[in-house]
Amino acid sequence: MSAHLDNSSLDSALRKHNRHEFGETAKWQRIIGRALTYILVTLGAIMMALPFVWLILSSFKTLQEISIFPPTFFPRNPTLANFTEVFERIPFARYYMNSIITSVLPTIVTVITCSMAGFGFAKYRFVGRNVLFWVILSTMMVPFPATIVPLYVMMAKAGLINTYAGLIIVGLSSASGIFLMRQFMMTIPDELLDAARIDGASEFRIFRQIIVPLVKPALATQTLFTFTGHWGAYIWPLICVNSDRLRTLPLAIPYFSGQYFSYQNLINAASLMAIAPVLILFLFTQRYFVEGITITGMKG
Amino acid sequence: MSAEATTIRRRGGNERKYRMYRLQKASAPYIFILPGVVFYLMVTIVPMITGFWMSFHNWSIIRPTQPWVGLANYRKLLADPLFWTSMKNTLTYSLGVVPLQMALALLVALLLNTGIKGKKFFRLLYYLPVITPLSIAAVIWTWMYHPNLGIFNQIVSIIGLQPQDWLGDPNWAMFSVILVAIWSGIGYRMVVYLAALQGIPRAYYEAAAIDGAGRWDVFKYITLPLLKPTTLYILVTSVISSFQVFGLINVLTGGGPLDATQVVVSYIFKRAFGDLQFGLAAAMSFVLFGIILLITVIQWKFLGREVTYE
Repeated sequence: MSAHLDNSSLDSALRKHNRHEFGETAKWQRIIGRALTYILVTLGAIMMALPFVWLILSSFKTLQEISIFPPTFFPRNPTLANFTEVFERIPFARYYMNSIITSVLPTIVTVITCSMAGFGFAKYRFVGRNVLFWVILSTMMVPFPATIVPLYVMMAKAGLINTYAGLIIVGLSSASGIFLMRQFMMTIPDELLDAARIDGASEFRIFRQIIVPLVKPALATQTLFTFTGHWGAYIWPLICVNSDRLRTLPLAIPYFSGQYFSYQNLINAASLMAIAPVLILFLFTQRYFVEGITITGMKG
Repeated sequence: MSAEATTIRRRGGNERKYRMYRLQKASAPYIFILPGVVFYLMVTIVPMITGFWMSFHNWSIIRPTQPWVGLANYRKLLADPLFWTSMKNTLTYSLGVVPLQMALALLVALLLNTGIKGKKFFRLLYYLPVITPLSIAAVIWTWMYHPNLGIFNQIVSIIGLQPQDWLGDPNWAMFSVILVAIWSGIGYRMVVYLAALQGIPRAYYEAAAIDGAGRWDVFKYITLPLLKPTTLYILVTSVISSFQVFGLINVLTGGGPLDATQVVVSYIFKRAFGDLQFGLAAAMSFVLFGIILLITVIQWKFLGREVTYE
């Protein structure tokens, strides 16, 4: 679109009358502005990605290379040994299984309970609806730490400390999930539900056969949010679990990092394997995350 | 299926079937919300009420009786210098993280909203820390911060700074924690801002261009006011979560060195699960809750006036 500008054409441009001159400088300003934008965004992105790059590179280094000062950036003799050794030195497979169990199960339940509750709040008028919904939204502001001490005492009384049930039971529903689902379902026209009612469909059939297929994107969003949340859960498991048998990855990795600093090569490989599932999942489902944030973030 | 199935049932005198239909219709909403609401309130409201009750008792899990002590726990914590230290550290953390993180998130969102190429790729990179489990991210950063073997000292030496023991030096520990917190939370706020920016009608910008408004004027008089509800939302939620910081600090420093990063929640944990003083810990939780509530109300009151250009 624009011609190449060398010094002579710049000079001649400057000599031309005011309006034209203004156009030329504006164009240069635009180009510089654009270049600055790219530079800033790229610099920021490098800083954001650096810990991941450093982790990936370090996890292919030998223990010997990791202990050199000053540290190397790229591995000199890349090795995969760390990834197999970590399974031999610590019960890594067990931790992985624990993480899968305590993430997948609550995610499935949460998506079901939240979509049902969201439907109830979005499409029915019933006594206590507004009060209940208000209570749920306002308890989103209650800090988790404010409830954690009594929660521990309650769970201890129920004998659920140090069990899978105790780990799972705190994550079977979520306020933001109910809110997200409600926002989605409010957009479904009531006529659709009434038409099904006239055809004799029960309320549960309406939910299963009309609502659920219509809110599939919301279900995907909710599934991803809940899963990544549970995969990274730290505070409750930290309190609930005191035996090695039940440790999940977010507990096990800091624990071993504190205990065996001399095996940092294994810690790095373990960390990489622990965060890989959510990172890979995110790469393919970025769209749903962004949609979910847009809906819950904007209506707040 | 007949379109008038229900009416036919009624006319046909099949009263029982009709009553069943009415019953399932009336109970349906309650059945729908029941599991979600019960599971949620069970781990929020119920422990809150229990905790409030506990805070007036000398409650320890190892003793058989929990005597009522009135306000003794509250008096005790107000007289505890370490509680005030942890309060001050929490405030430092919050002031260190929230404003800078919001400003950077807005800056990145504005830059990504200028129609540059690779927007999705950049958004992905900025969001990666958000989905990374925080305790594992903290382990990675501990490794980066290692005084001899970590890469962080190499980076700062490029810009001519002295190497430090980032997490082990009481003068630097809080700074190092704040840096990780900012890194881990920019992405989420950036995506919220980006969504809000895309919701601003183009007509406003076109009108401003016709009036000859400069970039800074457009930002100051159009973009920023229209982003106000979003900014308020991010501010309120960021402050709330900054006052609850725990996981990151527990892994990075464990509250140390010399309590330099001891925040309220890590102190609650120490009192509850270290000293088994559950009543005192519950009282501290409620003081924290009260402070969070107060700050939130103040923010709404002073900044919450709705801005609409419709």
